[in-house]
Amino acid sequence: MPDQPHVLRILWTRFAWRHWRLAPVSSWLLLLILALGVAAFFSIRLANEAAVAGFANFTDLITSESDGLITAPVGPLPTAVLKDLRQLLGNTPVNLVPVLETSAVPPRRAETEGIGARPTYQILGLDLPALVNLSSPAYGGGLPATASAEASPSAPNQPGGGLRTNAVYISAALARRDQLTNGSRLSLVINDRLAALEVAGLIPNRPNQPAAPAGLLIMDLPDLQRLTDKVGRLDRIEFVLEPGALRAERWAAIKQTLEGANLPAAPRWVVSSSAERREAGVTMTRAFRLNLTILSLLALLVGLYLVFQGLNGAVVRRRNEIAILRSLGVTARQIQQAWLVEAAVIGLVGGLLGLALGWLGAQLAVQTVGRTMHALYFGRNVDSAPFDFQEALIALIVAVAASTVAGWRPARLAANTPPAQIASRTGTASDPGGRWLQRMDLGLGLLGLGLLLTFLPPLRMEGGARLPLASYATALCWIFGAGVFAGQILAGFARFFQWLKWDSVPLGLACSHLRKPSGRHRLAAAGLVCAVGMTAGMAILVGSFDTTMRGWIARTFQADVYLSSDGDQTASSINRIAPATWESIAKDPSVKQANVIQGRELILNGVSTLLVGHDPRFFRDYSKPAWVSAPQDDTVFDAARNDHLVLASESFSERFHVAQGEVVQVPVPGGFQPVTIAGIYADYGNERGAMLLERGQFAKWFGTEMAASVILALQPGSDPEALRAKLRAAHPGLGVFTSGFLRGEALRIFRQTFAVTYALELIGILVAVVGLAFTMTSLLWERRNDLATLRALGLRRRELSWAAALEGGLLAVAGLSAGLLVSLALGWLLIFRINKQTFGWTLQTDHPWGQLIILALLVLASATLAGWFAGRWSTRLPAEREE
Amino acid sequence: MAEPPTAGRGLVLTAKDVAKAYAGRPVLRGVSLELRAGERLALTGPSGSGKSTLLNCLGGVDRPDSGSICFKNQALELMDADGLTEVRRRDIGTIFQFFHLLPTLTAAENVELPLQLNGVARAERTDRVRSLLERVGVAGRSQALPGELSGGEMQRVAIARALAHAPAVLLADEPTGNLDSRNGAIILDLLQELSDETGTALLLVTHSGAATHICHREIHLRDGLISGVRKADTD
Repeated sequence: MPDQPHVLRILWTRFAWRHWRLAPVSSWLLLLILALGVAAFFSIRLANEAAVAGFANFTDLITSESDGLITAPVGPLPTAVLKDLRQLLGNTPVNLVPVLETSAVPPRRAETEGIGARPTYQILGLDLPALVNLSSPAYGGGLPATASAEASPSAPNQPGGGLRTNAVYISAALARRDQLTNGSRLSLVINDRLAALEVAGLIPNRPNQPAAPAGLLIMDLPDLQRLTDKVGRLDRIEFVLEPGALRAERWAAIKQTLEGANLPAAPRWVVSSSAERREAGVTMTRAFRLNLTILSLLALLVGLYLVFQGLNGAVVRRRNEIAILRSLGVTARQIQQAWLVEAAVIGLVGGLLGLALGWLGAQLAVQTVGRTMHALYFGRNVDSAPFDFQEALIALIVAVAASTVAGWRPARLAANTPPAQIASRTGTASDPGGRWLQRMDLGLGLLGLGLLLTFLPPLRMEGGARLPLASYATALCWIFGAGVFAGQILAGFARFFQWLKWDSVPLGLACSHLRKPSGRHRLAAAGLVCAVGMTAGMAILVGSFDTTMRGWIARTFQADVYLSSDGDQTASSINRIAPATWESIAKDPSVKQANVIQGRELILNGVSTLLVGHDPRFFRDYSKPAWVSAPQDDTVFDAARNDHLVLASESFSERFHVAQGEVVQVPVPGGFQPVTIAGIYADYGNERGAMLLERGQFAKWFGTEMAASVILALQPGSDPEALRAKLRAAHPGLGVFTSGFLRGEALRIFRQTFAVTYALELIGILVAVVGLAFTMTSLLWERRNDLATLRALGLRRRELSWAAALEGGLLAVAGLSAGLLVSLALGWLLIFRINKQTFGWTLQTDHPWGQLIILALLVLASATLAGWFAGRWSTRLPAEREE
Repeated sequence: MAEPPTAGRGLVLTAKDVAKAYAGRPVLRGVSLELRAGERLALTGPSGSGKSTLLNCLGGVDRPDSGSICFKNQALELMDADGLTEVRRRDIGTIFQFFHLLPTLTAAENVELPLQLNGVARAERTDRVRSLLERVGVAGRSQALPGELSGGEMQRVAIARALAHAPAVLLADEPTGNLDSRNGAIILDLLQELSDETGTALLLVTHSGAATHICHREIHLRDGLISGVRKADTD
């Protein structure tokens, strides 16, 4: 019979739609579950997009989109470069926009004592008088404006018209949030000093650009140079061409000229176009974003598992109706198509709902994602994630496609319902997943394949990130493999309890259903294996991390007092301590020894890492490093003999594939310096990796004495708290911490980072238990005639509820057994493969048995309870009997 | 029809003016009957006449809207759900048209279940199950699951299960309705023999003329009312 569209329409309007209307609670629940999955996927992608977009568009807010920029190969650019560029470019119509950037934080107060507790501002230093050239409508008119209507409109500050000292332009968001107007004072820590800034106006919004975030401030360039001790230095120079035809070609010509003026042996600058810079941001964060996308897809997968269970249950409930339709002449193909349409509609409606929820979620997620990117990769932050129609379309297509895939098997089951079913009252059970979940060869094959995949190296991505794709595949293989075995374990448990011959009717009934478990049972057990395995595996990783971190923190923070700029809030902070400050502190009579730390970000082989100047002897004596490859002798610790010798962190060694004794060419101003790796130490503070060089050599190579931090060992009998109080009073722009405080803060930040994993664990368990509840209700619906028989034979409702509860409990025991076993393997995989390949960190294994026992009890109790409620519900089901 | 039971046997089940409606449609409109120990009563009538509804009310599975049902001098309408369950568990055996054996229990386990529910000791249960299965002629299939049994075998197991706990009343809803004539006849013979042997009262809902022949009385229902009563033929 050819397919007839009107039949599909009838099946949808007269049957599917009416079923949905008749059971609105379960319908909305299913849609909501799918919507949450789509929302997670969409919000994370939106937040990613916004965070990456933030990487490029800060200067664009002011200058219109720049065409390209130059930076120094290492460190800052001298301002004199501007003059050279003018000469080089002659009369070429291009605007040069010199830029200096720094970060700053409000001064510490009692309630913001913890590290990271204060907001971080990004200050952009621009030559505001020169920007008048760019204020014409042709460039989009992007000059800062007077701050809000109430802010002395009679005396607007015109850039170029005589700026006040330390004038700062703020975003409308910040003006609103902190109720700032023209003339308001803003006190911020920059480097090791407190700076008093005065609000001079608002950063304007440009058409088709996101509004300036609250964390962005703009100052006149000379002011910021002075405040940051960078007089005569710039971070970059941006190039803005006049809008018009052949803009790309004009920029290409300028780029060629600039690159042509570079000396190959000692390049003066690095030229990149805006597109390349954006691409750099995208590349740098690709692995991070891919990991987030994988996580969000997992959320979607979980939603689809429940859609599958929900649709499958609906097929069971509507089987008689399907049989009647089949007997009336509806073809199997039409039934299948109708169910697929139903699945697609669930995907569409759930997807649309998910887009709305996802957009709301993105507004929250963007700040978290932005903060993480800010800390790990680059100093930018964003406040909001604009709705992106392309991303929305992708999310919707994924939702509809995935929901249709999830509905495929239930649709097949529905189509395979014979018309004869109408005459049958014996309640024959459908058995989704029955065949493949009984294949032991499949289970063994998956476990073996997973083992083989552990030998594969990680995928090395542009930007130096490593993605352990093979290890992720191993995790999937092991989870699915263990899921297959869960069915066997289930049958084993049922037979074992029967062998015990406990005289309990509910237990006997529960075991009778499980000794030859149906596909539905096996699927529910496999779902539990997945949830328990991942949750417990993650708990093992976090437990091991916690133990390792505590040991590392106890070893590392053995000096007495630690100093940094009070503006330091994140790994990407660029605040420094002036030599005059640290020299005076080092001379304090209570100080026995000071380790002055200098740092510089380097690009090695196109990958970002750190070079640190320090005192190696101090490092050996007060940080007690754990050696991955210990130095063969003391040469590296002797300032007189350690020329060109460095210590490398384990992450550095893993990331750049270098071992002890190997030579690395380090880019320095004016060329390269070779350094030899004398030893490799374990370091859990930084995944980018670092090389530690003797500070004297560092200062000589980079021509700076500015310190990133200073570590003090005190004279015997000196009180660290007393020195801390004294230094805080003398230097309000300095963060001064005792080792005890830092240890506590380091642990707090570490545990805060992993707090989200506990939420994920709970969600995983919840989903598995909800899946189990769906399974139980489907099973009990199929058995409603048996239940009526049991009631007729004299079983009480509570006995039937207990039988279902025990069935759910036994399912949980099987899922837990296989899940906990696979979690031990997953724990090993996470620690020794995924973590090692991603971050390059070696962890000490520690199994949090207490947590695992609590997890097992929680799953067992939830599953038993879910079974009990399903059982209670089932005792009120009508049987399929006449009159 | 069979000979009536010995006079003087006690009343087991009494229904008086039992009425029941579903969604405003009356199904039973004041039915009264009595059943004595060892008596076999056939309940006949066309589809929709209310036979199964009456059987459900008499068995305590459903409650009448009005009227009274007394089981061994206990008024069922005064009992709560647990009380009704207790009566079903202890004193009533049920046989269904579609057998309704529990598909995951073996034949022996199906028969054992009512004994378990009544707290019979394991050794006694084992003996009783074995003897019942032997009596109904399926001892060799005791470990088979229902799906592995023929229709006739399933109904024999169902009869064994219904009689396992020696109930006072056996309620049979079209017990031969899903069997061929040969197996139907065998099952009817078996029911008659067992009823005689055990003195269990039998209430048989049936369309089959053959089934009425094993009963002492026949009550005919039409539109929820008793339209006729026929006693055992004496010729």
